[in-house]
Amino acid sequence: MTHVNRLRDYLRHPFWLAIALLVAAYIVFEFGVAYLPPLFGVRSAPIPDSVLLQYLITAAVGILIYVSDNEERWKRFKEPVGTLLVDPGLRWLRTALLVLVPLAVGWLTYSQVRPGVAAPVQLRSIHPAPPTSISFRGRTIRLTGLENPLRADGSIEEDYEVGKRVYYGNCLPCHGDLLDGNGHYAHGFNPPPLAFTDNGTIPQLTESFVFWRIAKGGPGLPTEGTPWNSAMPAWEPILTEDEIWAVTIFLYEQTGWTPRTWEHEGEAGAEGGHD
Amino acid sequence: MTRAATIAFGLALWWIATPALAQDTERGRELYDRWCAECHGTDGAGEGSAAAYMMPRPRDFTTGLYQIRTTANGELPTDADLVRVIEDGMPGTAMPGWESKFSDDEVRDLVAYIKDFSDFFELFGAPEPLEFGDRPGADAEALAEGRRLYEQIECWKCHGDRGRGDGPSAPTLQDDLDFPIRAADLSENWNFNGGGRVQDIYRRLRTGMDGTPMPSFSDLIDSGFMTDEQMWYLAAYVRSLSPPERPRVRDVIAARRVEGRVPAAADDSAWNAVPPYYVPLVGQIIEQPRWFAPGVDGLYIRALHDGATLALRVTWHDPSQSPDPDWLEWQGWVAETVQPAPEAEPTALLPDRLVVQFPTAIPTGRERPYFLMGDSRRPVYLWEWSSDAGAHEAWASGLGTRAPLDGGDLSAAAEWEAGAWTVVFQRPLAAADTATTLSFRSGVAIPIAFFAWDGSNGESGAQMAVSSWYSIYLEEPTPKTVYVSPVLAMLVTAGLGVLVVWRAQRREVEGSSQQ
Amino acid sequence: MMNRERCLTTFLAFACALIVAAGCGGGGEAGGEEGAMEEEAGGVATAMDAKAATVDTATAATVSGTVSFTGTEPEAEAIDMSEEPNCAARYDMPKTTEEVVVGEGGGLANVFVYVKDGLSGMTFSVPSEGVVLDQAGCWYRPRVFGIQVGQDLVIKNSDGLLHNINAKAEQNRGFNISQPVEMETTRQFGVPEVMVRFECDVHGWMYAYVGVLEHPYYSVTGNDGSFSLDTLPPGTYTIEAWHERYGAQTQQVTVGANESAEVTFTFGDASA
Repeated sequence: MTHVNRLRDYLRHPFWLAIALLVAAYIVFEFGVAYLPPLFGVRSAPIPDSVLLQYLITAAVGILIYVSDNEERWKRFKEPVGTLLVDPGLRWLRTALLVLVPLAVGWLTYSQVRPGVAAPVQLRSIHPAPPTSISFRGRTIRLTGLENPLRADGSIEEDYEVGKRVYYGNCLPCHGDLLDGNGHYAHGFNPPPLAFTDNGTIPQLTESFVFWRIAKGGPGLPTEGTPWNSAMPAWEPILTEDEIWAVTIFLYEQTGWTPRTWEHEGEAGAEGGHD
Repeated sequence: MTRAATIAFGLALWWIATPALAQDTERGRELYDRWCAECHGTDGAGEGSAAAYMMPRPRDFTTGLYQIRTTANGELPTDADLVRVIEDGMPGTAMPGWESKFSDDEVRDLVAYIKDFSDFFELFGAPEPLEFGDRPGADAEALAEGRRLYEQIECWKCHGDRGRGDGPSAPTLQDDLDFPIRAADLSENWNFNGGGRVQDIYRRLRTGMDGTPMPSFSDLIDSGFMTDEQMWYLAAYVRSLSPPERPRVRDVIAARRVEGRVPAAADDSAWNAVPPYYVPLVGQIIEQPRWFAPGVDGLYIRALHDGATLALRVTWHDPSQSPDPDWLEWQGWVAETVQPAPEAEPTALLPDRLVVQFPTAIPTGRERPYFLMGDSRRPVYLWEWSSDAGAHEAWASGLGTRAPLDGGDLSAAAEWEAGAWTVVFQRPLAAADTATTLSFRSGVAIPIAFFAWDGSNGESGAQMAVSSWYSIYLEEPTPKTVYVSPVLAMLVTAGLGVLVVWRAQRREVEGSSQQ
Repeated sequence: MMNRERCLTTFLAFACALIVAAGCGGGGEAGGEEGAMEEEAGGVATAMDAKAATVDTATAATVSGTVSFTGTEPEAEAIDMSEEPNCAARYDMPKTTEEVVVGEGGGLANVFVYVKDGLSGMTFSVPSEGVVLDQAGCWYRPRVFGIQVGQDLVIKNSDGLLHNINAKAEQNRGFNISQPVEMETTRQFGVPEVMVRFECDVHGWMYAYVGVLEHPYYSVTGNDGSFSLDTLPPGTYTIEAWHERYGAQTQQVTVGANESAEVTFTFGDASA
């Protein structure tokens, strides 16, 4: 009981509260993000170290704003620091910090400047901005507002079968039977092939976007952005327009996702306009 | 109850119970048609639309022959065997593991449906798994005994002396459907179809791999020729032919700086100073004609430089020292099996080839040429080696556009031994002609990619094995200036610390004296 | 849940089968064939012995004849055994493929001639003596032979070097066993099948064929192309002659008591 009370007293103190919040933030960013969602069946991945550092800095700034917001709190916050600097009883701790902190800084600097073996950072965006129209086999296709024409007529089952044939004849080795980007050739590519099962991929896209990515592949990515380094070939010379639309249908049918539609986007845009 | 009533009651029960059984295969059929049929065929004969793009081919379920079993040779697999293969997949083939996709019930339904393709399951009923003994410990002596058995029972006839699938019988191996089949490379256990652990290998030795040339060796135990323990030793020896772990793929190949000259010979002990970097290769399936049956599936790279010359030692497994007439039949056979057929005439013996690809200059930004031999905007610079013409430099701006570069200072020494090529390239860091040729510089990551052709496998032109981009980093000697900034930073921090403490204490003293 | 359901189903099915069987007083025809398949081959043999037909030698008939070859004999190709010096050393002349062997009199050897049809309803005892398939000089001996269902096939390695015996069957379960040293292994076949092919994957040139039958009426032609099917019960038979390259031909023949009938087959380019 007394322990709990003492802990509560500590946490009432802004300095220790700030430290506790920072530690809590670290634990959440480092472990919580990676391991909590899977407990509820949601896929997750650890945050990269560089991003983690950014998050922690943001958290620290937030905490500082909070403690300095109130004059009284700010004063109390500074108290332990002041004590550390002057209290004769804390001389040993003070001296130790005066030695250890510069050593740590020295080591950090050394690890930054020593010649290291590191690959250049290769950024990758999954959803680059699509052009409004593309030229496909000499024909101009306007992508904006374009829906999959196969959905308007014919049977989805037939298109699915055609798309399946196309997928298994062309896409399977990389994107895999499970459409999880883990085909038997996937290990040979970096960046790895896209996992259509991932909810950040095709469910966020319109079918015209998917058509564009299949037709133009890695070489057709916009040059103004970061280089994409995608091994995805341009399928324009190999697949017909209908085959690409059919394989698009297959991707959605087989994964169970639904594509974003332009009506939806239009509504969102209209709403934005009215507000 | 009269007899008639009993029968009627029984029949009624039977009639009620039957649909529950039938439902299994019906649900299995739906799953099968949706997820399996494109490879294994709607009729289960292994002739789906994607089958021709695979080597080995998808299983033909109508024969009732299964490679990965716990039952005796020639027997049907148990349900558990089928479940295991569906859930875990078959490494080294196109068969993925489905555990994340299907529930236990779904897998069970699929098994029920797959068994329906062969009458044997109904005729023979549930097979009995073999009794497998416990695995004894394997020390150095046991491994030596395993090696002795490997020689004595002639595993090397197919798998080769060092296990690289280069035995004298390897070029004629065919599976039960008369398709060519490679003797497993026993030094890559991560590709073993039935798993790469000692117990997996032991089981394959006991059961054989039905439908393939791999026989069962159980009769050797039954006949008293060898003991069960010895079979385990053999399995442990086979396991020892592969590295302890599947090699990790790393983005950057570090070229260590050596004192004196870089080694020119493949067996120079100087190479031991650097670890091998593994680069996986896959078939070129992007530009026509594509290639779905690559013979080379990975390279081991070691790199050294001495400040003036870069030396690159590339090793890869290739069961044939092409051009090799013993493999001519195989060459044509692969061409018949895999679609599309190779463009080269199967009657012409093809050489083995390796290409190391660089950009023509160290990229200033992050942009690299297109990994498949570049494009017109950003061409690539190549080190080419072939088993019949040695090494030379070349240049390309897209697949099929390569043009040799005259002169140049690239040299290479190659040797083939026991199913593996080793090629040592050497080139001065500075380029003779910087317009077409890359000048190497230490201290930066330089893009590097690899392409390999196994001539005896019918590979030439675009039909090859490819890697994506990696980096090579020539290490620099640590300059003394590296230590300046850390020392400076330490001094500044310490000074600031002292200053802060000193000021705080002075203020404290002033405060108390004022009181 | 599902397991319980399955247990229940199986139990019910079993119970019903018992009841039905009891009710019908042992009719169970449907299970007959399957039951025999499941049993050990040895068991099949004893079961057959009990009701095996005994052919009355006093009235027995014979069908004999020759298989002759027409056209040009395909040139035999020499086999390169250099990878197996111990085997290569056993031959003065390099071994040839021996796919088509024509005797001096124009007879075609290695043709499997057997009664394909006409014996239904009769069962025959299985010889207790096994049939030997020897691997000697990296060669299967004999190359073409017959065996009865349930009869022992004794596979022998006289070479003392690695052979594997890969039996590629469709009606039977195939097998693939290894014999790396001088040794013998015994196997049996469960159902009739013409032909089961044996291959040695270590030595791509080695193969052999066995015809598996439920009766003993088969013969393999020698270099003179002759065959003889003796001690046949009088009757009408379909005789089939099978050759590894030229395929199969059939003829009908009727033999009365103590009669002998002659049948001739002709294989060659035209029949291929």
